[in-house]
Amino acid sequence: MKRTTLQNVTLYGTVTVVVALILFPVYWLLVTALSTSAELSSLPPIFWPENPRFETFSEVWAARPIPTWLLNSTLAAIGSVTLSMAISILAGYALSRFSVRGAHSMGIFILTAKMLPATLLVIPLFAIFRQVGLIGSLWSLVIAHSTLIIPFTTWMLKGYFDTIPRELEQAAMVDGCSPLGAMFRVVLPISTPGLAATALYAFVLSWADYAYARTFLVNAPDSWTANLGITTMRGEYTTDWNEVAAAAVFVAAPIMLIYIFLERYLVGGLTAGAEK
Amino acid sequence: MAHISIKDVHKNYGAVQVLKPFSLDVEDGEFLVLVGPSGCGKSTMLKILAGLEPASGGDIFIGDRNVTDLAPGDRDIAMVFQNYALYPHLTVAQNIGFGLKMRGMSAAEIDTRVQAAAKTLGVETYLERKPKDLSGGQRQRVALGRAIVREPQAFLMDEPLSNLDAKLRVHMRAEIGELHKRVGVTTVYVTHDQVEAMTMADRVVIMRGGEIQQIAAPDVLFQKPDNLFVAGFIGSPGMNMLRARAESGTVNLLGLKVPLSASVADGTELIVGLRPEHIKAGPGPVEFTIKPHLVESLGSEKYLYFDGHGQIYARAGDDEENSKGLIARVSHSGPIAEGEELTLSFDPADLYFFDAQSELAVRA
Ligand SMILES: Nc1ncnc2c1ncn2[C@@H]1O[C@H](COP(=O)(O)OP(=O)(O)OP(=O)(O)O)[C@@H](O)[C@H]1O
Ligand SMILES: [Mg+2]
Repeated sequence: MKRTTLQNVTLYGTVTVVVALILFPVYWLLVTALSTSAELSSLPPIFWPENPRFETFSEVWAARPIPTWLLNSTLAAIGSVTLSMAISILAGYALSRFSVRGAHSMGIFILTAKMLPATLLVIPLFAIFRQVGLIGSLWSLVIAHSTLIIPFTTWMLKGYFDTIPRELEQAAMVDGCSPLGAMFRVVLPISTPGLAATALYAFVLSWADYAYARTFLVNAPDSWTANLGITTMRGEYTTDWNEVAAAAVFVAAPIMLIYIFLERYLVGGLTAGAEK
Repeated sequence: MAHISIKDVHKNYGAVQVLKPFSLDVEDGEFLVLVGPSGCGKSTMLKILAGLEPASGGDIFIGDRNVTDLAPGDRDIAMVFQNYALYPHLTVAQNIGFGLKMRGMSAAEIDTRVQAAAKTLGVETYLERKPKDLSGGQRQRVALGRAIVREPQAFLMDEPLSNLDAKLRVHMRAEIGELHKRVGVTTVYVTHDQVEAMTMADRVVIMRGGEIQQIAAPDVLFQKPDNLFVAGFIGSPGMNMLRARAESGTVNLLGLKVPLSASVADGTELIVGLRPEHIKAGPGPVEFTIKPHLVESLGSEKYLYFDGHGQIYARAGDDEENSKGLIARVSHSGPIAEGEELTLSFDPADLYFFDAQSELAVRA
């Protein structure tokens, strides 16, 4: 099908507007990081600093324990992703394949769990973690984030497994696999795009958390995650927004890099089942 | 190679019985075809044989082993699926060798066997490709390769040709037949295509609604159908069926008194079957004249549709083939015009008789 000029203009116009809207905050973050405090307070705002100041990055890196924060965020995210994926792969597969009595209501029940806001769960979790002595430890984040992530990922993976024909597992079983063997040798290798998309989603959910980190870790600076750390850069009377922005660039960069490297898989994962 | 014995196997899904108690013996090396309309339980039976679906009751023997409670991998069978079910992440060679690897065979031996199987099926040139880079026919061959490489006791095939286009289907049909002759493995083959059933089978099992209707060699099915369903299912176009009543050794057909070759009591309601190909153009033992209201020419032969004197019997749920009238399939006739009077004939020995009540065949 050939598009008319008008359709082309509309299409590219819309795409341009959407991309601009999405990229503007990124652009603004960079401008803020590269400006001086004086430029930031000027009116009208300056859309590109005359002398971009890259030193802010190195100053912030030196002044604040950013590597530690990033490491903590990474550890919490890896832990949450590992725990959530291990559970939701098995749960999603079971929901997709086995028609056990009550499986449907169980699936819906998991879904309702994801409707509860984090702020509602944070207090009971705090009480539990204090009793078992996890307050101040990154493990508290791993567990808390998993409770948020697992409902999402279980349903994402169930949807993905639903698109894989059962005959593949049946063929594998006739070929001598156990049901679990068929899952590990055939279903999971085929599901790489879906698994990558789901894992990345889980990673971002964990990385983006602030409420849990703030509640469980605020008194343990060694365990601060990046998001929590950045908020402590606000001074009581003044805030150096260029420094905050520079730190935020360090925090956002890993996610962007992962997206760029995994893009190939993600596109496949998101459009899975769209074609027969 | 082995003999397969199915004893009283049945299957319920909840309250629905999709397979009535089913007993069947498949001989060593036999090519047995399960055929029947959609939803009659053919795939269910095959999955139970493979161990992919538990039976609700009954026993299955392969060779001398009772395999009823064995896992699919322990039954020593191979299965070919309708959609091939090739592993998309493995190459052709890995697909074929997967079952051997699962059984712990050495890499060298797997390689030898895969090469041999690939050669048998003519897929040796694309062993390193992934399934997505193969045509439908090539995928089908790889699926067959995966089955033969294991040298199992039996092959189970579920409509393996239904995803191929008509021409390739005929070709692969012959190829599977040849393969069976060469390797001689007991095969249970499911299809809903009667041509496949008739051309490939040593014996055909006709199923309907989870029940066996008849088990017989193809020719026997055609010549001696046990009941009305089998008679209507086998043959194309389908058998003409007419209502008639037995009257002192004759039946009234299309306004003619025709001798009744079966022994039934006077007054019995019958369904009389007459195959379209048993009707000839021109004179013969029983002659009648018709005015065809539709003539379809297929080149070498013609289908004539004509009025059935109000006697046409249409079975509920069957396809509407006979609703256009009775059909005669005549060959080597001159030109025939619609609406023009014409003499046809048949031999009363070619008639089939069924009891209208029980739908069972009545024979002499
Ligand atoms: N999991 C299930 N739950 C309930 N009913 C089922 C299930 N699987 C199959 N059935 C029913 O069992 C019957 C037999 O199904 P089966 O797949 O064996 O038919 P089939 O003869 O292979 O048909 P087709 O030619 O369309 O493949 C059908 O009526 C079907 O609806
Ligand atoms: Mg079927």
